Formats: sequence, C-alpha cells, structure tokens
Amino acid sequence: MATETDASEEIDWRSDASSAEMSPRERVRELYRRWIYEPAVIAWSDGRTRIGILILSVYVLMALVELLGLWREPSTNQAGRLLTPFESMQYPLGTTQSGVDLLALIIDSTPFILLMVLAGGVWATGIAVVVGTVSGYKGGTVDTVITSISDFFMAIPGLPLVIVLALAFSPENPIFLGVILTINYWAGLGRSIRSQVLSIREASYIEAARTMGTSTPRILLKDVLPNLMPYVMVNFVLAARYTIFASVGLYFIGVLPYSGQNWGVTLNNAYNQGGLFTMQAFHWLLVPIVAIVGLTFGLILVSQGLDRVFNPQVRTRLTGESESIEEESDTTTTGMM
Amino acid sequence: MSIDSSSGDRTVSGGVVDDPILEISDTSVTYNDGETYVLDNVDVSIDRREVLGIVGESGSGKSMFASALLDAVPDPGVLTGEISYHREDGSTVDVLELSDEELRQFRWEEVSMVFQGAMSSFNPTMKIGTHFAETLKTHDKNVSEGLDFARGLLENLYLEPDRVLDSYPHELSGGMQQRALIALSMVLNPEVLVMDEPTAALDLLMQRSILQLLDSLQAEYDLTIVFITHDLPLVASLADRMAIIYAFQFAEIGPRDEIIGDSAHPYTRALLNATPNLDAPLGEMQPIEGEGPAPVNVPSGCRFHPRCPLATEKCRTVDPPLTVLEGFDSEHRAACHHWKEAREEISLNFGETKEWFEAGEPAEGPDQLPSGQGADAKGSPLLSLDDVEVHFTKEQGLIERFSSDPDAVRAVDGVSLDIQEQDLVCLLGESGCGKTTLGKTMIGLQRPTGGSIEYRGRDVWDADASDSDISDEAIRSALQIIHQDPGSALNPNRRIVDILSEPLRHTHPNISTNERRSRIYSLLERVGITPPDDFMDRYPHQLSGGEKQRVVLARALLMNPDAILADEAISAVDVSLRIEIMDLMLELQSEFDTSFLFISHDLSNARYFAEHGNGRIAVMYLGEIVEIGSPERLIHDPRHPYTEVLRWATPNLEIDAMEAEDPPIREIDVPDPVDPPSGCRFHTRCPVAREACRKEHPDLRELADADGKAACFREDPTHDYWDSEPLEGAERQPY
Repeated sequence: MATETDASEEIDWRSDASSAEMSPRERVRELYRRWIYEPAVIAWSDGRTRIGILILSVYVLMALVELLGLWREPSTNQAGRLLTPFESMQYPLGTTQSGVDLLALIIDSTPFILLMVLAGGVWATGIAVVVGTVSGYKGGTVDTVITSISDFFMAIPGLPLVIVLALAFSPENPIFLGVILTINYWAGLGRSIRSQVLSIREASYIEAARTMGTSTPRILLKDVLPNLMPYVMVNFVLAARYTIFASVGLYFIGVLPYSGQNWGVTLNNAYNQGGLFTMQAFHWLLVPIVAIVGLTFGLILVSQGLDRVFNPQVRTRLTGESESIEEESDTTTTGMM
Repeated sequence: MSIDSSSGDRTVSGGVVDDPILEISDTSVTYNDGETYVLDNVDVSIDRREVLGIVGESGSGKSMFASALLDAVPDPGVLTGEISYHREDGSTVDVLELSDEELRQFRWEEVSMVFQGAMSSFNPTMKIGTHFAETLKTHDKNVSEGLDFARGLLENLYLEPDRVLDSYPHELSGGMQQRALIALSMVLNPEVLVMDEPTAALDLLMQRSILQLLDSLQAEYDLTIVFITHDLPLVASLADRMAIIYAFQFAEIGPRDEIIGDSAHPYTRALLNATPNLDAPLGEMQPIEGEGPAPVNVPSGCRFHPRCPLATEKCRTVDPPLTVLEGFDSEHRAACHHWKEAREEISLNFGETKEWFEAGEPAEGPDQLPSGQGADAKGSPLLSLDDVEVHFTKEQGLIERFSSDPDAVRAVDGVSLDIQEQDLVCLLGESGCGKTTLGKTMIGLQRPTGGSIEYRGRDVWDADASDSDISDEAIRSALQIIHQDPGSALNPNRRIVDILSEPLRHTHPNISTNERRSRIYSLLERVGITPPDDFMDRYPHQLSGGEKQRVVLARALLMNPDAILADEAISAVDVSLRIEIMDLMLELQSEFDTSFLFISHDLSNARYFAEHGNGRIAVMYLGEIVEIGSPERLIHDPRHPYTEVLRWATPNLEIDAMEAEDPPIREIDVPDPVDPPSGCRFHTRCPVAREACRKEHPDLRELADADGKAACFREDPTHDYWDSEPLEGAERQPY
C-alpha cells in the first residue's frame, strides 16, 4: 500500500460499529444456518426432492444394514429354490435357483455400488469442473491446450476403452472401478462447463474482482463456481447414473471381475437361467432391475431439487429471511404476429 | 419538421376529448387473484392524432398500461375494465371482447406497438426484409405493395431502404435497428402506435433524432402515438399531452405546456426538479426521497404520501381522485388533495434563472478551477496518458490473412490526457465512440496497443518494475471501477457482507473478522444504506437498484483507490435517484481522497457531476477527444461543432426552447469506426464542414480566449479552412 492512503483509513467511518461484532458462538450458528439448515429446508420444500431423498435414504439404510451385519449373508442353499417374493416372509424377495436369498444378495452389494457411484460421479465432475473453469476463464493458450487434450479424450470411444482397462486392471476396489468406468466422461462435461464459464467471465462482477486484484483461483472458487453449481450438480447425478449403468452392463456381459454376486451379476445369472422366459424365475430378474432403477430415479429426483438449493432467490424466500424487492419486470409482450 | 407549430390547435380545449380513438375506463390489471394491482382503475382517453407522453419511474406500471391497450397482458395477469377503440368511420370496437382472431387483426393493423430492445425484437437469423414480408403475409396483405410502403417509411426514417431490407439485424447499428423496428410496426399502416421506451437503449443524440423523425411521421401518416418513457424531458419535446403515472395510477394528466410549466401534483413537480438539465441552477436540483412502492405494499390513501413533503392526515387515509382542476377549463386532471399548496410551495427550478451563467452566479467560475487548467502546474499527475491507442483487430479468415491488412476498429486513437490527484473528468460521447475503452485503459484493465499510461510516473504496463517503488499490486488496487449495471456488478450468489469483505482481504489482510465486519458496517452506513444490520446478510436480489449501486460504490471505496472509473454508473438508476447517487459520489470523493473518471452519454449528468466537483468534461468522437474544458465553458460556449450537437441533443424543459429545431448535423448515423473518415472525423456530419476538413486532421489545441482545448480548425483564424469551399449540405455562413 502506498503511504498516503493510510491516512484516509483513519477517518471516522470506522467508529461506532459495536453492533457489527459477532461472537464465536454466533458465528458457528451462522455457519450451521448457512450450510446445513437452509439447504435442508429448501430441499425438503420440494415434493420431488423429498421423494428422492426418501428413496436414497432407503439405499443408505441398506448399506448400513450390510455394514452392521443385520441381515444374513447370501449363500447357496440357504433356502428353497426359486421361492417367489412374499411366498415366505423369511425371504421377502424370494430366492434364486440355487436357493440364495435375493434380498440378502441386493443388500450385500449395496455399499459396493454406492461407493462406486460416488467415486465415479466425484471423479468425472471434479475433473470436468477444474478443466472447464480454468480453460474457460483463462482463455488463450491455456484454453487451446486444455481443449485439445479434451478433444483427444472425447475422440476415444468410451466403451471399448473401459473394457480394455477393465480387462487390464481387473479392478475389484469400488473406488478404482468407479474411476475407470468414467475415465473419459470428464472430457465432454468439461467442454460444456467451459462454455458456461465463457459467458460468466464477461459479467461485471468478475471484472470488478479482477480490478481488485483477486487471484484467479479465488475468482474461480467464489465468483464463477457458485453460479455453475446447479449445472454441476445435475451433471454429477448424470455421471453417477452413467457409472451404475456402465458397471451393470459390464457385469452383465461378464467383462468385469467379481468375487461375490452383485446387482449386475445377479441380472446376468437370472438371464442365463431363463428369467426372461419363465414366470418362475422372473422375480429373479426383476429384483435387481428395481434396485438399479430405484437408485437412479432417486438420484435424478434429488438433482432436481439441488438446483433450487443454489438459487439465492429461492433460498431467501423459503428460509423466511427479509423480503425480496419485487422488481416488476418490464414485461414485453412478444408474439404479436 | 415544423409541424409542431400546429400542435397547439390539435390539443383539445373542451372538458372532454373531442374525438377519442381509444377510451380506457376503470381498467385494472391484477395478479394473485385480484390481490395485487399492477394497474389500478385507470381512466383515460386518447385523442385521435395526438401524441400522448406517459412518464413514470421503473416499476410504476407504465409497461402494463401499454400491454393493456392491446389486451396483451402477460399471464397470469388479469385485465378488467373497458377499452373501446373508435374507428375512423365511427364504428366502435370493445377491445376486451374481441375473439383471438379479431384481436390478432386488431393488433398491428389498428394499434401497433414498438418495444424497447430492437436487438431482441428482431430474429437474428432473418433478414430485415423477411420480417416485413412475414408480417404482411400473416396479415393477408399484398407483399410487394406492402414492401413499397415500407421503403417509403424507411426513407422517411433516414435509412437506405434497399440496404436495410437486405441486411441481417446484426449488420445495423442500434439506432438503425430501432428505426427499422418503428418502420416494421407501421408497415400495416396502423392508426395508433404504442411505444414502450422505444429509445431507452440508445444515445441521447439518437433518441432526439428519432423523436424528430417520429414527429414528422406522425404528421405524414396521421398517427396517434402513445409514447411511454421514464425520461420526462425527452418526451416533452414531442408530446401534445402528458400523463404522469405513479404507483400503478395516473397522478396527473394534461396538456404538455401545463404539465411542464404549471403542474399540480407534487410528484410531477418533484420529478421536474429532480431531472438534471442544462439550464437550472445546480443547487436547486433535488432528488425525491425514497422509492416507488412495490405492487405488494401500496400505501393507503394517496400513494405518494410517504414521499410527499405536503402530506397531511387526509392524504394518508383518503385516496384523492383524478379530477379536473378548478380554474382550468382544459382537461388538466390531477390526483392530489393539496394541489393548490403544491403549486405555491414547490417551485420549479428551471426557466427562472436562465441567465444565471451570464449573470455570473458562479462568479468564481472559470478562474477558480483547481483541476482544469491550473492543475497542470501542480506537480506530477496521478495518471498520465500519452498518445494512447487501442485498436481491436477483427478475426480474419485464412486467405485474408495473406492478402490484406487486418481490419482494425480504432476504439481509441491517439489520446493524451493527464489526471491529477483528486481530479474529476467526465468522458462524454455517443456509444461506440470509445469512451468505455479509454476509461478501462486508464485504469489498467485494457492494454493499449500504442502509447503509454503512467501511474505516478510509473508505466502501468511495464513488466519490469524494479526501478520503481510502486508495485503492480499497488497500482491494481489504486484504480477501481463502478460498472454501469449494478445488477450484474454484484455476484448474485454472495451476500453483501461477503462481497464487501473481498476488498478488505486485499487492503487489510490481517484484520479479524469482527474488525472487517465493523468497517463494512460503518461504510454501509456512510453510503446511505441504513440500517446496515438488515443489509449485511442479504443477497443482491434483495436490494433495489439504488441500493445495489451504493454497495458497488462501497466496494470500490474499501480498496482505498486513488481513481475510480464510473462507467455510466447512474444510467441504470431511476431518474429520481440519480442526483442523490451523484451527490454521494462527490461527497465521498473528498472524504476518500480519490479521483473520478465519469463516463456518460448525457451532457446534463456530466455537467452536474463536473460542475459540482470542479472537474472537466472531455468530449469524445470516434476514438478521439475533440474538446475538453470546464463544464461552464463547454455548455455555454462550445467550440467544437460536435459539442454543439450534444448540447442540442440534451432535452430541455424550457417550453419555448422545446419546439426543437432541426438537428445541427447532416447525418444521423455515426460512421463505421473500422474505416473512419479522413481528415477531421466529424466532417461527414459537421454542419459547418469545408473542404479543408476532409483533407487535414485537426489537432487538439489550447483555446486562445477560454479554458480547455478543442480540435477544430475554426479556432484558428488563419487556417485554410476559412478560404475553402463548404462541403455538400454544410452551411456557408457558420456564424
């Protein structure tokens, strides 16, 4: 700082500011309100999101049941063969041809699937956000280099690449598997985030931040990213969905290695045993399908509502903060032709 | 364009309108099942072939009135009441009873509308001509006859019909697009033209030119025009009658001369006093306190009472009706209990002291300017621009790259300017003249392609700073900006307290959160946001336009800058608040010891700002400064013909001066900055240009007998100019 500016700091606008003080306790409460209470209220206020949250909590519950060992482990001949659902309340979802409890099968692989889905989503969107915001905001040579690299990745056909990688690495760790499945998912997503950033970077508040000398990472984090969040969240869910579908598909065609059974493997077995053609084995096919569709559906419903969590207007309206200024938009009535 | 002389005869003399074309009675527009009124019981008649100017602040329901006239209120608004349209042949149409098909024909063929943004009204993928053809086809008209009619219209609007019809919207400038849009709305030869802020996005000069054209169009095509705007002085030059709309109701309506010269409603009078204009003494311009109400909480009784200086108990409880005022036999109506007091107690500030400049009211005027001239001797300047050039190169195709020189837009071309500590400079010019680019170059946001900028003697773009004790960071934080649109200058996702913490992180990285909060708190209070407690945790969308602009100002000030660029900083703010914001900026300038660069296209705003802050006004044209000087001298004794044009373009509330003469320019449109005219760049439009102007480029030179500088040969009594021939269309005898 140049020296003479110090003088102006001492003028009287600094004084009489006691009411602006915040105690540490208040600050903790403020943080809680801002990051936990408000998002929860907004998410819960929307019917679809509420259903989505309920569906997802069923899956989390199943994972907890598995981790705490509250349900029996699946094993062959633990029950009668091809029991239909609700035939015996002991095995509510029925059994397979080899007498394995289907509910136990589904529960058994839930933690694995959830972990894989999370890893796939975080990896794909994480890389895409970094790549997209940096190349979109910086422009110039940085942009050209990053864009060229992602063009290259986009040009590689995804499915064969994943199959080759899966065969080469035989991933059994769910996190590693999630990453492999979405190995080139980031490229396309990064491209579309980049185009969003291109319009945001022209906003006056970005220029104002630059004029203040704010560093690029901080501008990206504080000014660019929050405006992208709805878009990023929706794409996180899409990436997660892609991960489930890819894993199930690859298990189904038997490319991925497996030690135990999981949803995809169950699907494969059921199909091979004629689940599609005989009514007796149909439930065997149906149960994993419902598990997969339910998880995807829950994710999609939640993503709809996350859009609102990041909207400051919805936020202030729902959490009962001070009123908005109603700005009557100068409504243009088009379409006179 | 002299038809306005007959406007007095057209104005109705009886108590009612003689030959109304549109009668609107008891019309309301409601939302939320009738809970919220955005247009409340409006009762007004529009005379055939009159120009009715409707003035209101943003959010006062004036656009809703326009939509209501066409029964085009957007859902879920509900329109009730009665709107009758009287055809020329005497038959009457009830607009609200029309079927969809009849309504479709009624719109555009009988009543047509021109919207604000020409850029969004045209389809960018269709040629202008296609728009005309489509409209004609949709309304089952003969296309070739219609296009001939359109050509005539375009010609009357000073456009080349064939060129315009054959271009895409983006190939035309904003002013040309707006004029093409006016022609498009008139292509079916409607009786009534409803214009909703048709010129708001344009420069003053273009606005005034379009208004002149409208005036002649109105006479030629027998139009009735309803002109809706927030800009009172602008429409005053065109209108026969004027209506003032406040909080979804008409506050006052009457003949133009009476509204301007003898208005009865306190709001009208306050609005007139709040309008910056060139003739009023500065001290008497007053802002109107407060802001217009939102539709959800309209005050009881008279809607204006919270802001009215004359409000009494009666005003708080009884809503005054819009009645004919006694003592006026014309149809001048106002909704006020105390209109007699209003006329006595709120005196209008213009017109009384027209001679103030000559009378020497600011006696210390030109001699006492600390900036302007005398400041040059005051040691090293804060910012010093030397022959700065900013050229933008257009993208080129592969083949062009080999064959031709790149097309460069010369946004700024050879500007030299010194800015002192605590200085104030207003850059004035039409859009596209490079004033924003020059401003951004001055504060180091735009790298110049030629010349140099020095901050306290250090070159801003000199990467090697080892020989100077001023670091890059210091320069960066010393030069701040206030943007035009406060709405986009604040990140919608951050709270006010977070937004304002950002500058403090740079200036005082080590202070505690509480200290930071208390600084923000007291500065918010200082810029007039009270109580700060309520605002700290708000998001920008919870602030009004004026409040946002104050927050933006606070953010710039928290950096402790040496210079602030205010880029059209008040043009997005409501008229009644502009003076308040300008006063605030001026007060804070001395408190915080900064310089201001104020960019504007409006001479009256620039004058207010520069005169109060003892600054200079620099007039820019096509990338060059053509005249610079103190506001007093610039306004009353302009030396460059372009300054005179701008002065003409500035609306005036003087009734006698209002019947504006033809513009003192030969061309309405600005030449293409890619290929600026040779010699003096203004010669293509200059009314007094001569052959010499085409050949030789005038330099900016000190005026011999006044302060400031001007770039015109006419300042040199010995120049060849005086012996050369006038250009085509230019005057032979300039004085």
